[in-house]
Amino acid sequence: MSSSPMECAAKVTPRPLANSIRGLSDRGIAWLFVAPTIFLLLAINIFPLIWTIYLSFTNFRANRIGREVKFIGLRNYERILSDPDIWQTMQATAHFLLWTLFFQVLIGFTLAWLINRKFKGNDMWTTIIVLPMMLSPAVVGNFWKFLYHPQTGLFNYVVQFFTGVDSSSFSMIGDVSLAPWAIVIVDTWMWTPFVMLICLAGLRSIPDYLYEAASVDRASKWRQFWTITIPMVLPFLMLAVLFRGIENFKMFDLVVQLTGGGPGSITELTSINLKREAFEKWRTGYASAYAVILFVTVFGLASIYVKALNKVKER
Amino acid sequence: MAEVVLENLSKSFGDTVGVEDISMRIPDGAFVVILGPTGAGKTTTLRLIAGLEAPDQGDIFINGQSVLALNPAQRDVTVVFQQYSLYPHLSVRENLAFPLRSPLLKTPQEEIDRKIKEVAEVLHIEHKLDNKAVELSGGEMQRVAIGRALVREPNIYLMDEPLSSLDAKLRAELRIELKRIHQSLGATLLYVTHDQIEAMSMATHIGVLQNGKLVQFGSPREIYNNPVSQYVAERLGSPRINVLPADLFGNAPKGAKTIGLRTEHIVLGRGVKGRVNRVEHLGDHTRLHMSLAGNDLIVVMDPHNPVSRGDTLAISPENPIYFDANGIRVL
Ligand SMILES: Nc1ncnc2c1ncn2[C@@H]1O[C@H](COP(=O)(O)OP(=O)(O)OP(=O)(O)O)[C@@H](O)[C@H]1O
Ligand SMILES: [Mg+2]
Repeated sequence: MSSSPMECAAKVTPRPLANSIRGLSDRGIAWLFVAPTIFLLLAINIFPLIWTIYLSFTNFRANRIGREVKFIGLRNYERILSDPDIWQTMQATAHFLLWTLFFQVLIGFTLAWLINRKFKGNDMWTTIIVLPMMLSPAVVGNFWKFLYHPQTGLFNYVVQFFTGVDSSSFSMIGDVSLAPWAIVIVDTWMWTPFVMLICLAGLRSIPDYLYEAASVDRASKWRQFWTITIPMVLPFLMLAVLFRGIENFKMFDLVVQLTGGGPGSITELTSINLKREAFEKWRTGYASAYAVILFVTVFGLASIYVKALNKVKER
Repeated sequence: MAEVVLENLSKSFGDTVGVEDISMRIPDGAFVVILGPTGAGKTTTLRLIAGLEAPDQGDIFINGQSVLALNPAQRDVTVVFQQYSLYPHLSVRENLAFPLRSPLLKTPQEEIDRKIKEVAEVLHIEHKLDNKAVELSGGEMQRVAIGRALVREPNIYLMDEPLSSLDAKLRAELRIELKRIHQSLGATLLYVTHDQIEAMSMATHIGVLQNGKLVQFGSPREIYNNPVSQYVAERLGSPRINVLPADLFGNAPKGAKTIGLRTEHIVLGRGVKGRVNRVEHLGDHTRLHMSLAGNDLIVVMDPHNPVSRGDTLAISPENPIYFDANGIRVL
């Protein structure tokens, strides 16, 4: 009895189709299955990308469809790269990115390390710690807005309780010097659990017997930490940083909900700025060039990073 | 280099007995081999001495000092783990250097290099020094694990089946090498094995474990010639000791239930007749699988004997060992 996958598929298929299925090679059937995905990918990823690159060399404005579209070469790129406002949003993004990564790695790893010790109820603690991650960013942005309220917010009250600073004397969202930190705090609150979970997976992957061998080899706890724990968790940690880095480079919803980019444009991250250029000012060509620059930046940084990650894994 | 004394050591894991009431004196410079079937508590004994496991009861002395309160580092032992336990992210070289890089030792780099070279040569792993530990075969890993123990000179070397994954040639070579190291350093070793050649050729003392209890401790000769029980007798000797009903050959001592016959306890040509079922030619000797009044029996003969399947041979015991109904030796 022949029972190749093709035969089986043909048996349960109506006549005319069955014949054409029987005629397909393995390779042919593979393409048949992959084709819809490839088509979708081309339609919603690759085509828009190419179209965006094309638009970035034009003065196209999406709110004036009828007008003639002029090819203007690299003008958009020149204007973007020499615009001080854009450099300001880049700086805001860099500030946000670096500090959120720093805190999330530091706190996330520490929490993972603490949770990983065998104590009663650590499952329950893991669940509690992981909760913020499960909320919608819009919800988180909204309720932190309440928490940050100078008169009624819990945050200012807690700060006053611990430091004695008058709670109504500062506003996390309203003050130019505090707003960049306000978004860092919220993102850290929300996403540290994610870093913790990945670190925890890393820590759990280290077998006990390595620590046993090291203690027999007379390595102190400190040395065990640096020569076993850190090197073996590092690939996991770097992966977490990659995920968070890419996510936060694109950060939009949480910050829009929380500060709307303000005060002024202090917390206007690149993606917020970009959305403004594209869909409020309708400078489509210009925004396309902007998007291409961001894409190249993320792509470049990510590939360098992934190379480094692979090197660490190989070590 | 130290004397190690175990006193009434017990350790259970929940309901499972790891070891029970073990007392043993390992003299300075002794090479002690621990024998026992799987699950007998060999690894547990090693881990207790190393300080990786805390005993429920009993005490451990190294050089006369109780070490219960000390951690593995302070006890100054080295362990070759059964599952190798190499540091997977480090190279072989770094694995070997790891114990030497302890801040306690402050070994200078040239000294470390010299040691590694020496050990790598002995274990034939020079060409693998720069490989990562995970890129090795099982036998290579095992040799690196041995090397990591040998770079230091601890109070006692603890080795858990260190030669189990090696081929016969390498095993024979390392057996001699370990023996040489033992003699030239005057090192104290505790060594777990299932291999009777290893046990007989290297040990100064053998300890036999049964369900967590130490049932006999003595020189290899003593364990082989005067086993306290059928269980101990079955641990050594190849082929395994034959156990037959005691009354098969007549004049058994009172209380004896079975008679234990090693091949050298068997005289051919007179006595009870048996049938040869199978002849195994093993090169330097020939094994005859016989049945004797319904009991199986293995006899060793020189390789040139003309016996073949179906022949009848008479057998009688010479200086056999008798056991009672519980398998305990009857004198
Ligand atoms: N960590 C542990 N938790 C629970 N039971 C254990 C643990 N370690 C050992 N045991 C039990 O203790 C007994 C002795 O184990 P041990 O590892 O000492 O055996 P062994 O003689 O080394 O066997 P093998 O020859 O298979 O290595 C076994 O029944 C085992 O299941
Ligand atoms: Mg074991």
